[in-house]
Amino acid sequence: MTSTAASKVSIEFNDKVVRQFMVASIIFGVVAMLAGVFIASQLNYHQLNLAEWLTFGRLRPLHTNAAIFAFVGNMMFAGIYYSTQRLCKCRMGNDTLSAIHFWGWQAIIVAAAITLPMGLSRGKEYAELIWPINIAVAVIWVVFAVNFFLTLHKRNEPSLYVALWFYIATIVTVAMLYIVNHLSIPTSWTHSYGIFGGVQDGLVQWWYGHNAVAFFLTTPILGIMYYFLPKAAERPVYSYRLSIVHFWSLVFLYIWAGPHHLLNTALPKWLQMLGMFFSLMLWAPSWGGMLNGLLTLRGAWDKLRTDPVIKFFIAAVTFYGMCTFEGPLLSIRAVNSLSHYSDWTIGHVHSGALGWNGFMAAGMFYWLAPRLWNTKLYSVGMANFHFWIGTLGILLYVVAMWISGIMQGLMLNQVTADGLALKNTFLDTLQAIRPLMGLRIIGGGMFLVGWLVMCVNLWKTIRSGTPVNEVREVAVLQHGKTDTMGMKETFFNDPTACTFGAMLLIFGWIFLPPGADIASLICACIFGYLAVRRFQKTSHTWANWYDRLLVNYLPFTVLTFVAVVIGGLIQIIPTITVNSAKNVEDRVQKLYEPLELAGRDIYVSEGCYNCHSQMIRTLVPDVMRYGDYSRLGESIYDHPFQWGSKRTGPDLAREGGQRPDSWHYEHLMDPRSMSPQSNMPPYAHLNTKAFDQKTLPRKIAVLRQLGVPYPPMDATEIKMKALEQGVKIATELKKSNIVVRPDSEMVAVIAYLQKLGQFEQPQVEESLTKKGQGVPFPLGPVIPDNSRRADGSQ
Amino acid sequence: MDSKKPAPNNEPTLRDHVYDGIQEYDQKLPNWWLCTLYLAIAWFVIHWLCYYQLGLGSSDTFVIDKAMAEMQSARDKQMASITDEQLWALSRDAAAVEAGKATFMTPGMCVTCHGADLSGMLSGAKLPGLPLNDQEWKHGGKPTEIFKIVRKGSPDITKGMAAWELVLGMKRVSEVVAFVLSHHKEGEPVTRAADSPPLAAAK
Repeated sequence: MTSTAASKVSIEFNDKVVRQFMVASIIFGVVAMLAGVFIASQLNYHQLNLAEWLTFGRLRPLHTNAAIFAFVGNMMFAGIYYSTQRLCKCRMGNDTLSAIHFWGWQAIIVAAAITLPMGLSRGKEYAELIWPINIAVAVIWVVFAVNFFLTLHKRNEPSLYVALWFYIATIVTVAMLYIVNHLSIPTSWTHSYGIFGGVQDGLVQWWYGHNAVAFFLTTPILGIMYYFLPKAAERPVYSYRLSIVHFWSLVFLYIWAGPHHLLNTALPKWLQMLGMFFSLMLWAPSWGGMLNGLLTLRGAWDKLRTDPVIKFFIAAVTFYGMCTFEGPLLSIRAVNSLSHYSDWTIGHVHSGALGWNGFMAAGMFYWLAPRLWNTKLYSVGMANFHFWIGTLGILLYVVAMWISGIMQGLMLNQVTADGLALKNTFLDTLQAIRPLMGLRIIGGGMFLVGWLVMCVNLWKTIRSGTPVNEVREVAVLQHGKTDTMGMKETFFNDPTACTFGAMLLIFGWIFLPPGADIASLICACIFGYLAVRRFQKTSHTWANWYDRLLVNYLPFTVLTFVAVVIGGLIQIIPTITVNSAKNVEDRVQKLYEPLELAGRDIYVSEGCYNCHSQMIRTLVPDVMRYGDYSRLGESIYDHPFQWGSKRTGPDLAREGGQRPDSWHYEHLMDPRSMSPQSNMPPYAHLNTKAFDQKTLPRKIAVLRQLGVPYPPMDATEIKMKALEQGVKIATELKKSNIVVRPDSEMVAVIAYLQKLGQFEQPQVEESLTKKGQGVPFPLGPVIPDNSRRADGSQ
Repeated sequence: MDSKKPAPNNEPTLRDHVYDGIQEYDQKLPNWWLCTLYLAIAWFVIHWLCYYQLGLGSSDTFVIDKAMAEMQSARDKQMASITDEQLWALSRDAAAVEAGKATFMTPGMCVTCHGADLSGMLSGAKLPGLPLNDQEWKHGGKPTEIFKIVRKGSPDITKGMAAWELVLGMKRVSEVVAFVLSHHKEGEPVTRAADSPPLAAAK
């Protein structure tokens, strides 16, 4: 490969942008963790919901967005910009793009920090930002992508190192996920309705949400691990072969795992099963990354004692291993029935976010700072202190959340001796976990203290040096043999043909009608056997093809995109055809009246979904506590869906009609007046504001566009309807000596809460004609659940 | 692979390509690791085959519908055995009344709306609940009628009392009713409120 080198040039890396991203990440790390400790405290001390814009519902999105996009985002960019330039032996593609990327990203973060506390939210987790900011994110991401691929294009190193594979997967996949999950139609400058609704929205949201974890918090950090860990350990990477297998299996399998956030819900069972099994299959590929990290240190374990960087990396990789073992475990439907909606999940994500991301970030920053400022680390002792207090903090946090989640789950499931009633109220279980929520504050606080110590340490380090941009002599690559692979060579070869062939047959097994499915499975087995035989005989041609692929960045990117796109297509497209009122055989949601819709938008904007689910699962304790299990059709008009992911408070799917309006009024004004010892923030401010009448007609018009069957109504009619209903509720409240404005947000929210759970039966002919039609177009496995219900359990 | 070095004395193969000082071994994949991958795949195939092709196992809705139906029939059986006389008898049973009082007085339960003295008042202010210590009964004053209101809530629960059966369970509901009845005498006159809904047969 040295033969391609003709001349040498001197190259100055753009290390300035690395320094900028690094400092931004450290600062936003403090912000994200402070917000975390604060909202954790709010759960135990409701008095900390100091003002309307400081309520838990509004700050929790701020915490998650700050942690993911501001803290880890900036850290990821720092790592990618530093390592890509060195692995490509050239300066970043374009300095202007680098600068736009940096400043654009920070502007987005500031915009998020302002809009989220204002209650401007799309109401989907980690996708809360409003549509103008969404567009900015997409644009900046494209700027980043162009900058990155320009760098690959002009690289002076023919072959792509494994870190770059992960960066490529990150850039391509995040763009796809982000754009699809944010498709929406604006109703004003600050509000929009997503184009998906109900179960469809749920599926798209968790396809996005789960893979935000995968492709924003995992793959780029794995890439960073592959660069910085061997650099710090000064040891060769454990196994190149393992890199290949775990990279491709990871990016292919991850995409499928989204439905494991919707287990035991109204989501069709075949999707739940795919989500569960792909999560289980994901365990090995994830651990492949951990092994390649840990085993790279073989022969360098002594450094663990002396070098804080190695300490952080090893702990991070270990937490990654723990977390990716826990993930598949939590994806098993039986385990999930206990763990879901509980603190266990919260503990799980924090062992990833603090342990894996937080410690990888710290290790990388300790390694980078002396190099970027040409100096020595100010204090190894402080770094060691950071390591220990951080580790203890995470462990305390995670263990507290394990106990809390399991305890609350078990308590919620407890029944009386005759088995006919529940033993504990929701509030009982909340009181039981309060000490554990207290421990969490301490654990998180310890991690924050460690982080602040790092800030001081790095500040002193930076002050003792001066910023330097590394300059290197590199051999210029002549682009004769690289980047010449065509479509044919990319797709028509043994490895891709065997992979796609086997995949096609497996999908045939899942989707084809009876008879053909088994035939397809048998063919898949035979095909798999032949493919393995072929691989054993001609493995060197496979290896040669892969070596060729590595010197061709575009074909590599195309194949990566194909690998990540398949899972989403197969899961989402059939669901899009299912989710229309015609296809729902059981129940259909009643349309929201204008006032109820206004109330719903307030519910979404206040972030109620952060604590209240609207999904009664097909589990006995859920049905006993909250009523009949939720059906697929009961939320089809919900843009966005509000199934939720955590029950800090009880489920609200059938809250409508359970209590008097006056109860809701008193409860919203001061939750503790009706539910003693509740930790819900007060919502007295709803009483003082009028709901937004002006945009209601536009909102209903947009929903009609999205397929919600509202009858044609003009603007006056809509406003009149809303006010009439408001007057009705206000009159009802008057009877209990409560005076409210009929146009207040309070009245709108009460109207919405009283509507929850109302449905009607779809027309009979439709459900009759549906039966016995053979395989319907909405592709799904051939034994639908309902036919089984008819002939009973076997 | 043309870029292989012969492996001297058990050292794994080191690929000779160097990326910014980083080299890679080319080791075989650990067997136990491959095993976990294969096992997960096999589990998927077998489970899917059993559920969708062989029809083993029941659907979620079938399981839950069956469980809830069984529970309902057990509840109905319990219900059928409860009479006015039994509830009056229970209201003279100190242990039951004490247990009922404990439930009644639990914050967030009955006491919130009906008051600790059952008067429906709290220091002069009217609470959402009706008084339970007088002889006027909006929904009927027979023990089984009171029992039904506690279980199912008022006929329109958005305008009255919530249903407590699922929260409390049959035993605690009957204890609470016993506690309320302990403030009354069997055979005392019962009047209906001016706004009483027409009486439905108490079940």
